[in-house]
Amino acid sequence: MEQTNFDISIVEYGFFVSAILVILVGLYGALVKKSLIKIVIGLSILESGVNLLLITIGYIQGGTAPVFSPQLLKDMPLTLENIRNLGNGMVDPVPQALVLTAIVIGFGVTAVALSLVIRLYRHHHTLVIDEIKNLKW
Amino acid sequence: MVGSPILFVAVPLLAAFLIPLLGFIWKELVRIVPGIVLLYLLILSVSLYSQVLQEGTIVEQIGGWAPPWGINLVFSPFTGLLTTLMLFLAFIIWMYSYRFKNVDFEPSKKYFILLLMLVTGSIGIVLTGDIFNQFVFIEIMSISGYALTAFYTGRDSAEASFKYLLMGSLSSMFLLLAIILIYSQLGTLNMADIASKAHLMRPEFRVLALVFFIVGMGIEAEIFPLNGWAPDAYSQAPGPIGAAFSGIVVKAGIYSIIRVTFTLFDVEGSMQFLVLMGMITLVVAEMAAIKQNKIKRMLAYSSIGQMGLVLVAFGIGTEEGVFAALFLMVNHALIKPLLFLSGSYLVFNSTEKSIRELSGLGKYLPLTSFLFALGAIAIVGMPPLSGFWAKWSMLSAAANSDMILVIGLVLMVSIVEIVYYFRVVNRIYFFKKEEDVEPKKPTLNAMVSMIVLGVLIVAIGFYPDLITSYLHEASESLMDKGKYIQDVLSAG
Repeated sequence: MEQTNFDISIVEYGFFVSAILVILVGLYGALVKKSLIKIVIGLSILESGVNLLLITIGYIQGGTAPVFSPQLLKDMPLTLENIRNLGNGMVDPVPQALVLTAIVIGFGVTAVALSLVIRLYRHHHTLVIDEIKNLKW
Repeated sequence: MVGSPILFVAVPLLAAFLIPLLGFIWKELVRIVPGIVLLYLLILSVSLYSQVLQEGTIVEQIGGWAPPWGINLVFSPFTGLLTTLMLFLAFIIWMYSYRFKNVDFEPSKKYFILLLMLVTGSIGIVLTGDIFNQFVFIEIMSISGYALTAFYTGRDSAEASFKYLLMGSLSSMFLLLAIILIYSQLGTLNMADIASKAHLMRPEFRVLALVFFIVGMGIEAEIFPLNGWAPDAYSQAPGPIGAAFSGIVVKAGIYSIIRVTFTLFDVEGSMQFLVLMGMITLVVAEMAAIKQNKIKRMLAYSSIGQMGLVLVAFGIGTEEGVFAALFLMVNHALIKPLLFLSGSYLVFNSTEKSIRELSGLGKYLPLTSFLFALGAIAIVGMPPLSGFWAKWSMLSAAANSDMILVIGLVLMVSIVEIVYYFRVVNRIYFFKKEEDVEPKKPTLNAMVSMIVLGVLIVAIGFYPDLITSYLHEASESLMDKGKYIQDVLSAG
C-alpha cells in the first residue's frame, strides 16, 4: 500500500517538475534569445508549460472522465454516497475547461505576435532584436 | 430593471463583429454604429448606476449558475462608477475619431472593431466576479491593445506593439499562475468565494498569489518596473488610442490590482507595498517625463506618474484615502484624454511629434491650445480646476494617516510636474512658431469632444460636490468586503 502511494506521488511530482521546467525553458527563450521568431517560440513554450501545470492540478492518477454515464451508474443504487465515491475517482473538469480557453488565447497572441514580426522584418530587414532600436528598449 | 449588466459585454462584442457585415450595406454605418452602441451603453450604465445607488448591488448570474460555480457580473456602486466613466470616455473617443485623419473605409473598419473590443475587455475586467473570466477579458483588452498600437504602418508602431505584446503576454502568464495557485489551494475561481475562504490558504501561498497577480496586472496599470511599454505604445498609437489607454485600459488595470489587494487577500503589509510601489512609480516616471522631448512620451510618463499617485492614495488604506484615489482616477480619466486629444491635433502634421514643434501654436490654434493649457493646469493640481480637489483630498488623507514622507514627496514631485507642463504651455503661447510646422484645424466633432471634457474639468473644479457623493458611495462599496461577499454569494 505504501509503495503505491509513493509511486503516485512520484508521478504527480514528475508532472509538476516537468511543467515548471517547460515554463523555465519558455522564459529563457522569451527573455534571452535575440531573434524575434525565437522569442515568439519561447512565449508559446511558456504558455504550454503553464497549461500543463494547470492540467496537473486537476489530475488524479487513474482517474476517469468526469461524466456520469449510464454504464457507470448501471450496477449501483443512486445514493449520495455512491455518487460521491464515483466523483472522487474523476479528474477535475474545471482546469481542463480553463486550459481550453487558455490555448485559444495563446493562439491569438501568437498570431498577433507573428504578424508583428512579419511587419518588423519588412520594415527593418532583420529579425535580430539588437538592430531594431528606433525606440528606446 | 432597465437592462442587465451582461449587455455591457455582449452588445459591444456583438457590434464589433457585426461591423464588417454592416459595412457591406452602407460604408458610413461602420463609423456610426459604434457611436450608437456606446451611447446606448452609456445611457444604460447611467440608469443602472442610479438604480444601484438606491436598491443595492446588482449581481447577474450568467447561464443561471449560482455564484460559487458560475460566472457572475457584479454591478456595485464602485464597479458601476468605473463602467460609466469608461463608457463616457469611449463615447468621447468615438466622437473625436469619427473623422480622424479621414482614413479609408478598410482601416476605419478595423479601428472601430478594435476600439469596441478594447472597451468590452476593460468593462468586463471591472464587472466580472470570476478571476479566470477576468483573465479572459484582460486578454481581449490587451490583444486589441497590441493591434491598435500597431495601427499606423508608417511609424515604428510594430516595434512598440511587439514590446507591449512581449511584456503583456509574459505578465498574463503570471496571472494564470496566480489563478492556478488559488484554484489548487481553494478549489474556487469566484472572487467573493475566494475572499471568504482566503484565510484557509497558507500565508506564503497567499503572498505568492498576490505577487503574481500584481505582476500580471501591473503591466496594464503601469506600475514601475512593468511600464516600459507605455511611452512607446502611447507615442506610436493613434492619438485617440493614447487617450483610450490612459483613460480606459489603465483604469481597468488599477481596478484589478485594487480588487485583489482590498477584497481577495488580506496580506499583512500589502498596503505598505502599494504605497512603496506607487511612490517609486511616481518619482521615476516624473523624473523621466522632464527629460522627454516628444510630447506624447511626456504625456505617457506623466500618465504613469499619475497612476503611481493613485496607488499611493489607495495604499493609505483608510476610506478617505480610497475616496481620494477614486477622485484622482476620475480626474485623470478626464484630463489625460483631453491632453492626448488636444495634443495630437497640435502635432498633427509633424513627423517628429516633438515639443519644439508646438512653439507658437497658441495664435494659430487658439481653442485647441487653450484646452491643452487647461488640461495642463488641471493635472498639476492648480486651483480652481478639478485636479486641485483630487490632490487636496489625497494630501489630507495622507496627513490624517501621519504619512509625512508621502506628503513631502508628492509635493516635491508636483513641482517637477509643474515645470515640465508649463515648459510646454510656455512654448505654445510665448515662443515664435517654427517655420516648417503647418497647424491643422480640428474637425468639428473633435472640437466638441474636447470641449465636453474641458467643461467637465472646470465644472468639477468649481463644484466638486457634483461627483463627491458618488465617489463616497463607491469607496464605501470597495471598503466593505463583507457586503461584497454577501451580495454575491446570497444572490440566487
